[in-house]
Parts: sequence; structure tokens; C-alpha cells
Amino acid sequence: MSKVVGIDLGTTNSLVAYVKNGVPIVIRDKDGDALVPSVVSVSQDNTIHVGREAQRRLLTDAARTAYSVKRFMGKGREDVRHEAEHFPFRVGGDSGEVVRIGLGDREFTPPEISAFILRDLKHRAEAHFAEQGEVDNEVDRAVITVPAYFNDAQRTATRDAGRIAGLEVLRIINEPTAASLAYGLDKKHSGVIAVYDLGGGTFDISILRVEDGVFQVLSTNGDTHLGGDDIDVLLMDLILDGHKGPPLRVSPSNVGVDPRVGPSAETLQEIRKSAIQAKLDLSDRDETTIRVDVGLHYERRLSRAEFEALIAPIVERTLGPCRQALADAGLEPSQIDEVVLVGGSTRIPLVRRKVEELFGRRPHSELNPDEVVALGAAVQADILVTGNREMLLLDVTPLSLGIETMGGVVSKIILRNSTIPATGSEMFTTAVDNQTAVDIHVLQGERELVADNRSLYRFKLRGIPPMPAGLPRVQVQFQIDASGILSVTARELRTEIEQTIEVKPSYGLTDEEVERMLLESFEHAEADFAARQLIEARNEAESVIQATEKSLRSPEFASIDATEISADERKKIESVLAGLKMVLKSTDRETIQKWTHALNDATQHLAEVMMNRSVSAALAGKNVDDV
Amino acid sequence: MDFFSFLSLPRKLNLDMADFEQRYRALSRQFHPDYFYNAAPAERRASLEKSSYLNDAYRTLRNPISRVDYLLKLEGLAPQGPEQASKQVPAGLLEEVFALNEELDEVREQRSGGAPPDVWKGRLERARRPIEAKRAEHEAQLQELSARWDATGDRAVLELLRDRILERNYIINLLAGIERELNSTVI
Repeated sequence: MSKVVGIDLGTTNSLVAYVKNGVPIVIRDKDGDALVPSVVSVSQDNTIHVGREAQRRLLTDAARTAYSVKRFMGKGREDVRHEAEHFPFRVGGDSGEVVRIGLGDREFTPPEISAFILRDLKHRAEAHFAEQGEVDNEVDRAVITVPAYFNDAQRTATRDAGRIAGLEVLRIINEPTAASLAYGLDKKHSGVIAVYDLGGGTFDISILRVEDGVFQVLSTNGDTHLGGDDIDVLLMDLILDGHKGPPLRVSPSNVGVDPRVGPSAETLQEIRKSAIQAKLDLSDRDETTIRVDVGLHYERRLSRAEFEALIAPIVERTLGPCRQALADAGLEPSQIDEVVLVGGSTRIPLVRRKVEELFGRRPHSELNPDEVVALGAAVQADILVTGNREMLLLDVTPLSLGIETMGGVVSKIILRNSTIPATGSEMFTTAVDNQTAVDIHVLQGERELVADNRSLYRFKLRGIPPMPAGLPRVQVQFQIDASGILSVTARELRTEIEQTIEVKPSYGLTDEEVERMLLESFEHAEADFAARQLIEARNEAESVIQATEKSLRSPEFASIDATEISADERKKIESVLAGLKMVLKSTDRETIQKWTHALNDATQHLAEVMMNRSVSAALAGKNVDDV
Repeated sequence: MDFFSFLSLPRKLNLDMADFEQRYRALSRQFHPDYFYNAAPAERRASLEKSSYLNDAYRTLRNPISRVDYLLKLEGLAPQGPEQASKQVPAGLLEEVFALNEELDEVREQRSGGAPPDVWKGRLERARRPIEAKRAEHEAQLQELSARWDATGDRAVLELLRDRILERNYIINLLAGIERELNSTVI
């Protein structure tokens, strides 16, 4: 039986976990490390690096290395214009289209980059299962987590990433809810829980009621653009402001990554590394020294008080969504029984203090905040494949779903915090006689005007039977599934004719594109493999050429007469040698290998003769007894 | 099939909420797509439809106002349409609405005449009081009528409930309007 895993696809780090004998376990590498940095790098020879190695390459080849790609999932070119300048890699794509990330001469969509990370986790899990002696160690299905506040486009992009990585995505679940599952395992009591999840790039707050093993989300809120990354940028600005020499900044106002004005992309990454180190230090210490030695020289002491003053506005920004979530759940802070912390950024003492202040109780952090989400995802995956009814997760849709109506106003069809799966429907009719199609624009968000909400899909309802204007009654049904992903169906009620819907995601990939990427990923995996093989073939050819040339130049060779190596044989060696040198620069691995073999063959006799010579030379002057 | 019968509940307006929540959890356990992952496509589809319907029922019946709205619709007493309902001033509110509109006009005039915010804001706050009082009155009436419906099942009670609900919606809109005026800083 193939294996099922739970995956936390994070902004900064990703993890994979599974359930063994009813207990969720995070899969670690041989060094005991569970975290795979969510970093992907493409080297000059087009080899793809993922994780630690890719992270190291940020310091040597930043422009070919992508990180924090989760921030770009489900986004259009326009959405990311400002933040793109913070990153060393190219962020492009056509206007109105999905973002493209350029690494070297190749371009990827964010789901493709995420798919590299997912494939790495898949391989990590498969290696683990093989090591455990499992007969079938293939991992082909997964539950993947997303921030609770992710919209439909971001969820769909995550599901697409899974598909491109060759995984059947059983379910997309929300990170805070996954965490609550992991926490709920050993304490099956009832109560109201608040999960505060501050990760690398996103913030979520979810309020849940737990009763009879049912984990029911009452409300959720958040900010998909708020996390540890923002703290890093503040510290980087501090370093760039304070170093000696001409002023440099990472902020968009002064183009940071342009080497003429700012530090090189690699220097910027050195600065980022030092900033992150200082941030981590200050979770355990009252003071640290920020030090940058590569690219520029910088040193300063930073106290925790100074750090807290710096990051206070960021922590403050998490409190508004918390209050909104409480209001939506109809609860006062004092009615929360337990508070759970999730995400690496909740290690920051100021964050803990602020959360404690807001809810009036000390938050839980018994489980590792980096691992708890993956553990919960594994539990959910196990529920899905085993049908175990002990626990049930009832989640909500974080944002209202609506359609555009007259005057650019949104009419809401499914309200935020509705438990999923959820449906809603809307009746449409025609404006002119014999009209057979209606345009529909689906949006997500809380605002009144179309322009202030997230455009999800535009589509045409076709095949409406020709009738006088206003007579057709087309019912459009919106279904949000248990993963929080929307699908749309429609039927004309007078004729009972099912309508054709061509859905074009506003900022996503079509099914065809995902299929193509899946195929390409195989081909590229092959291309990456082929590239490695070509390099190996060239290396081998070069060593044979060197050895041959060395022989031909050697004094022993000069002393060999024509009775041992004929003139024809010499000529043959020289021509094969010249031939191999000619094909060496080609990209045709097989030809290179063929000529390499030919030169090996042509020089075999010569090598024997030379060998004998050197043996006799070595033996000369020595006693037979010594041999 | 309607939301009440789906949850095996009588068509009554006062619910034992603990019992209601418990029913919801039990049915969720029965229908949720989590448990049909390996089932045949038809069963999976049915699970999705049933749990979506259950969630809709839960959301509608949990809230006392939407519960009344839903019951009225079930009993064929739904107002014609939301737009119509909110535009037409209910007869029982004519006096209050008239007074409020006059007050709002004067406040706008004061404001464009450059009166300091605390002057016109104070006026708005005072104008809000009778409307707030009306709302409290309506909440009490709704509760009383709900109890009467539960006890008698008399359709005449439902008609009274419908009128109260329409007025209540109107009052909510009025209060939201005042709130907007209070928050607007420029003319």
C-alpha cells in the first residue's frame, strides 16, 4: 500500500509527517533535522537544489535562488510589484497574469517552485519508509496545509503545486486548525481554543470549540502578508542604515539589489542571515551583537528592548485580526479556555507577552511550534484514508464569496466564517431577447465594491435557451468543498438544461497548464539528470585524453619501436584522439561516450606496452628476489 | 425536506442550543466528506451535498433572527424581496423616521456650516436614542411572539412576527445610517 503524508508547506521551512500506529511523527533526515528550508536554487548547469543546499547558494548565487515563494502563490504580477524588489530573484510575468519567477534562464510559476519543495519532501518520506523496510514506499497522496486566511486562488495554487509534484492532494487544511488537531490528540476535553499562528510570512488566528472530538472552527481571521519576514526586513534596514559608507536600503524607495546603488544580492543575503541570527538570539537573550563580515562590515549591539521597540508595530498588527475573530465568534477574550501558539515567530517573547495580555491567560507552547502543523496534517491524512471517526475537523471559509452585480457592487453569496463544505446559489436572467450567454464575475472579500475585492474567476454562462429577455432562470450554484476550494455549476430551471461553464481563474493556472507542468517536471527532471550525465561523460573523456597525451609525450613512448606499435596503430590513436577532442564540446553524450570508448580501445595495446616498459624499467637494476 | 426536519426538530423558534449543537455534531459525523474519501463517487457527492445542506441549516437556525426569517419563508410568509422591504417605511415607524430625517437634514446643514463636531455629533447621539429604544422594544416583542408561536402554532402570530421582523430590519438600517453619519468627518 502506497503511503500518505501530511505536509506543512511553509514560507520559511517545510516539513513532512505521517501517522505510525496512531501517533503522528515528523520525518527527519539523518542529522535529526525535520525542517527543509523552502528554498529552491537552479545552478548554472540547470541542476535544481532544494532545502539546505539551496539556502547555502543564497550566499553565492542569490539571483538563481528563490525563497519565501509562498508569498507569491495565487498572485498576479500587479499584486507583488512592491515586494518583488526585496528579493534577489526576478519576479515577472505578463500584466494580469500569474507571477513568474526567473532563476537563471528558466522561468517558473510559484506552484512549480513549491512543487520542487514538495517533491523533495516526498523523496525524503520515501527514503524514510524504505529505511523502515516498507515493501511499498511510494508516497503519492498528501494533505497539505495553508494559512487559514488564504483565499481560493492561493489554495488552488497550493493544490496545483501538489499535483505538479506528482501528489494527489487529499485535502488542503488550515494551519491553525491542523495545529489544534495535534494538540487535541492527548487532551480530549472540551472547551474554546484560540490558535495564534505567526509564521515566516503569514498570520492566522482561529477560534475553535472542541466538543466530543469535533473541532469546530467558529471564526478565523488573519493577514497573509505578515510574519517573521517583515521583522527580518526591519533588521536589515537597521544594518543598512547604520553601516559606514554611502547609505544603502532594502526598502523599495531605494532599489536595494541594484549593485550600482546598493549591496550585491549576495551581500544582502549575508545581511539577511545576520538579521535572522540576531532575531533568534534575542528570543533567549537580553542582548546580542549583530555582525556582518562579508560584503560590508557592520557590528552593533542590540538589546531586547531596542528590538521590541522596533518590531512592536508588527506585533500590534496581529491584534486587530484577533479582536475581529473574537467578535465574529461572539466571544469575549475571557471566554477563551486555552490559547495555542504556532509558528516560529511565536518564540519571540514580545509576541508571547502581547498574546497573553490580549487573552488574559498564558498561552500553550508544549509542542514545537515549527512541527505542530505538519503533525496535524498527518492526523488529518490518516483520518481520510482510514475513515477513523474519532475526530472531526469542521473548518470555515475565511472570506465571503460574492458575484459582481449592477454598478460594480458585490452581492455576497457565501458569508465568511461559514462552515465548509458550503453552498450558495444565485439566480440570473437575460437582459435582451434571445440572449444565450451571461458573464459572471466571482469575487472574494468583505468590501462592497468589486474593485476592493479579490477577483477569483470570470466566466461566461453559455447555452441558455433563446427566450424573451428576463424569462430564463439560470441558477448558478457555488460549492466550497472541505478544502475551501470553489467550484461552480449552473442550470436553466425552465428547461433543466445544465449550462456549460468555462472557468478562467483570474490569477491561477488552468487544468491544462497544471497537466503540462506535471509533464514538464518529469521532462525537466530528466533534463536535469541528462545534464549531470553529460558532465560526467565529458569528465571521463577529458581524463582519457589527458592520459593518452601524457603517454604520447613520455620518453618511454619515444623508445618504442615500430615492431611493437605499428605506424598504423600510432596514426589510429592520433586520429581517434583528435576525433574525441572535436566531439568533446558537443552536448551529445552518447557520441562523446562512443569516442571515449574508441580511444580507450585504440590505446589499450599501447597501454600494455607502456606498462611492460615501466615494469621492466622498474625491475632493471633490481634483484629478482625484490620483485 | 427543510432545515428543521433535517435536524429532526419541530418548527419552533425557541431552541435548546446545547441540544441543537449536539445534533449538528452528530449529523456532521454522519455526513462529513472526511469519512467518504474512499467511497464510490455517488456517495461522495451525496456526502458533500448533505454536509453542505447541514452547514447551511446550522448557520440559518443558530441565529434567532435568521431562524424567524427562515420559518416565515417556510410558512409562505416571506416578504416579497429585500429591496422592497427596506425601502418602504413600515407604518409603525412613520413618526420616528420622519423625526429622524428632519434631524439628519439639520445636522448636515450644521456640518456644512462649519459647526464643531461635538455639537452635531451630540445631536446625532440624541437622535439615536428613540430608535435604540424602538429596537429594544422590538427584541422584546419578537421574543414574546416567538413563545406564542411555539405554544399555539397560530398563523396569525406569524403574520405579526413578519411585521416585527420587517420593522426591525428597517430599524437596523436606520441605526447603521446614523453610525455612518457619526463616522463621516468631511461633508
